[in-house]
Amino acid sequence: MTLVDDLQAILGPDRVLSHPLELLVYAKDAGVTPGEAVAAVLPETTQEVSACLRVAARHGVPVVARGTGTGLSGGAVPDEPALLVVMTRVDPAWEIDAASRCAWVGAGALNLDVSRGIEGLGMHFAPDPSSQAACTIGGNVGTNAGGPHCLAEGTTVVHVLGVEMVTASGDVVVLGSAAPDPIGLDLRGVVVGSEGTLGIVTRVLVKLTENPPAVRTLLLTFDSLRAAAATVSATIAAGIVPAALEMMDQPMVIAVEAFIHADLPVDAAAVLIAEVVGLDEGVDAEAATIERIAVEQGATSVRVAGDDAERELLWKARKNAFGAVAQAAPNYYLHDTVVPRTALADVVTQIYEIAERFELEMMNVFHAGDGNLHPLVAYDAREPGKAEQVQAAAEEMVRVSVAAGGSLTGEHGIGLEKRDLMGLVFSPVDLDAQARLRDAFDPDGLMNPGKILPRGARCYDYGMSALPESEPS
Amino acid sequence: MNPTQAQLDACVTCGLCLPHCPTFRLTGDEVASPRGRIAAMGAIATGALPSDETYAEMMSFCLGCLACEAACPSLIPYGEMLVGAREQLAKDQPSLAGRLRRLLAGRILNMKWLLALVTSGIGILQKLRVVGFLPKRLRLMRGLRPLRVFPHSVLGVRDHTPAEPAGSVALLAGCVMDEWFPEVHDATRGVLQMAGFQVHSPERQQCCGALAAHEGAGEEARRMAQRNVSAFSGYDYVVADAAGCSAHLKEYNQWAEGGESVAERARDVTEFVAALIDRGLLPTFAEARGPVAMQDPCHLRHGQRITAAPRRLVRAAGYTPVEIDQDGLCCGAAGLYMVYEHETADELGASKAAEIQATGLTTVVSANPGCEIQLRSHLGKGYRIVHPIELYWESLS
Repeated sequence: MTLVDDLQAILGPDRVLSHPLELLVYAKDAGVTPGEAVAAVLPETTQEVSACLRVAARHGVPVVARGTGTGLSGGAVPDEPALLVVMTRVDPAWEIDAASRCAWVGAGALNLDVSRGIEGLGMHFAPDPSSQAACTIGGNVGTNAGGPHCLAEGTTVVHVLGVEMVTASGDVVVLGSAAPDPIGLDLRGVVVGSEGTLGIVTRVLVKLTENPPAVRTLLLTFDSLRAAAATVSATIAAGIVPAALEMMDQPMVIAVEAFIHADLPVDAAAVLIAEVVGLDEGVDAEAATIERIAVEQGATSVRVAGDDAERELLWKARKNAFGAVAQAAPNYYLHDTVVPRTALADVVTQIYEIAERFELEMMNVFHAGDGNLHPLVAYDAREPGKAEQVQAAAEEMVRVSVAAGGSLTGEHGIGLEKRDLMGLVFSPVDLDAQARLRDAFDPDGLMNPGKILPRGARCYDYGMSALPESEPS
Repeated sequence: MNPTQAQLDACVTCGLCLPHCPTFRLTGDEVASPRGRIAAMGAIATGALPSDETYAEMMSFCLGCLACEAACPSLIPYGEMLVGAREQLAKDQPSLAGRLRRLLAGRILNMKWLLALVTSGIGILQKLRVVGFLPKRLRLMRGLRPLRVFPHSVLGVRDHTPAEPAGSVALLAGCVMDEWFPEVHDATRGVLQMAGFQVHSPERQQCCGALAAHEGAGEEARRMAQRNVSAFSGYDYVVADAAGCSAHLKEYNQWAEGGESVAERARDVTEFVAALIDRGLLPTFAEARGPVAMQDPCHLRHGQRITAAPRRLVRAAGYTPVEIDQDGLCCGAAGLYMVYEHETADELGASKAAEIQATGLTTVVSANPGCEIQLRSHLGKGYRIVHPIELYWESLS
């Protein structure tokens, strides 16, 4: 029996895909690197996921979990030919505990569907990546996804109380619980951000966050990026942690405006979207303070969203930024690094210099509040040597971010993209510890192999493959 | 007619289209998603993979609702690409089923006498009350209005000319609109005359060609468009009272020489009349007639980005529009889709019907014939499905 025969015996013919064209459409996520699947399956229950993993283990075939493929770092793209377990249909009835403010939802549930589903209870799921309307909760767990509103609320790990996971051997385990102080090692915390390398999460116990009674959203316009960055630092220094603080530079604003028609200031060098939430009196005071700080730092105009419709339009503009880039060039490379907020202006200036030196067309859109940069390079991959140039520039951008005291990724995950840069922030001892932890879950190395940890992460691998040449911080 | 490299390149595979795609929502399968279809079109166009049955099924499974196009931040002309891919498929893989579909959309629907004959036949079946016994695939029969046994066409109608006309309007008669929805044409003519327009339905016009284009019968679609360009010349406006038709007329620049002249003058009746109401040329009534459920036809909402106009008409007629679905997911009619992909169409139709039933309302407003048929066939007795221009005309008269 072949792998496909065995899988069809479990799922029937319609939910096992093996035609080359079908596999081609599953070869990529929203990033730039394609991979190769030997088959793709669409299970519907935890039991079916478990049965598929047992079959894969028996055949010795690696397994990669995939949600809706909106990731940007290749987490759901096979590094070597693998079985793709597509999780979009794994969404059994939700168990909502409104009193305890948590709910078990399927890994295949869409992030925005969860928030919409509990709207009537006056609550929402706080992590809101730009792909919020399209991405799955399982994918959010895999990458420890962030989003504009994670500035005040924290990333996915803060909002996941427990997970139900199928291990490489097909066993089903539940890690974490609704209890406020779980006993033992925090394996739930280990799983969040593990990109399917420890197992496949099938259900998630998510924390539900109360909708704020009042919201004010401001659009601040600046004639220099430095002034916008200074406003970010000064706002946080003034003791205000806005719900979100987002920046877009001029090329980005122009691209987005062409799609959204939100009357965005296309002449400005940079715009900030600031949002404050809380009680009516509080948000008015905070909005006034932000406005004052912005004007002091040289803001040329301040627009406050008049109603929910205008507010939603501003967020739609921000969240469609990445896709809008295609108007500039056929390919884009979206970076994701973190720098200390105080170094924002300096690092961004350096990043512009790098782009200029490599002669790349760059736009910037980022979570300024937590120093999470998303420089975005638009290019044409068919131009000879261009992709390599983009890669080289990307690596330099990561290096200047790390050198300024930052980190490799803010929220997209390591995946394939940053795997070989892990040595910039982790020592061989750190990497070895992570590799051993991973081995404990998946001794045969079948779960999403080649992700997160660079080859040679294990001490006994030394000499087989070199870590990037750099000093660990 | 495979999509061009530039069109294919425009997709950055961000995936923001996925939740807007009805077939993806049903299946969770990338193969049934716009991004997946574009990837497949690319593989075929570049010759990386051969055009085979799997590819044909992928292209056929798409409703062509254009919700992805409206959601796409990269502004990809998905509808145009799909239509091109289907025309190419018709050449590369001329299957029997495909040929029948193209024959129906490209020729039969444009044969007035045959359509009239079929209409009479159905009219008789309706009178004999045997429509309910037809097979599931012909569910659409259950969604028809009572048809006339002796149908008459609006073709060649030249309404009484006002002394100082506000302008001249060519009314698109359409294929099934003309035979199956004469009340909608009557309402359109009545309202436009009241606003002072001279309304003609030029004799030499053809079916707009939208269904032919969607089925990959490109040659026929181009021929129909070309004839309509000359039939509609000389009028200030070309008005259609079916959303699928008005959407297609606005794309005539792609289908006929000189087609841009029609595209520029083409209006959906809802936007045309809403503008007249806004300018004070037509009256409004107090909102006292109660709530009605609003269903947005995809080719109005996604294809033409028109949502306010039908609501304007409904309010002006004295009704209160009630929303049923914030995303405007397709009802599953999608032209001939409800015949050849009837299982998927039924699933979508049933969930749309459930949304309407949840509101407790029994009047549903829709500005497209296919949607109307689909909604009626799923809602059954006790519901009134009506074009917004009819509601408005009723209030006026």
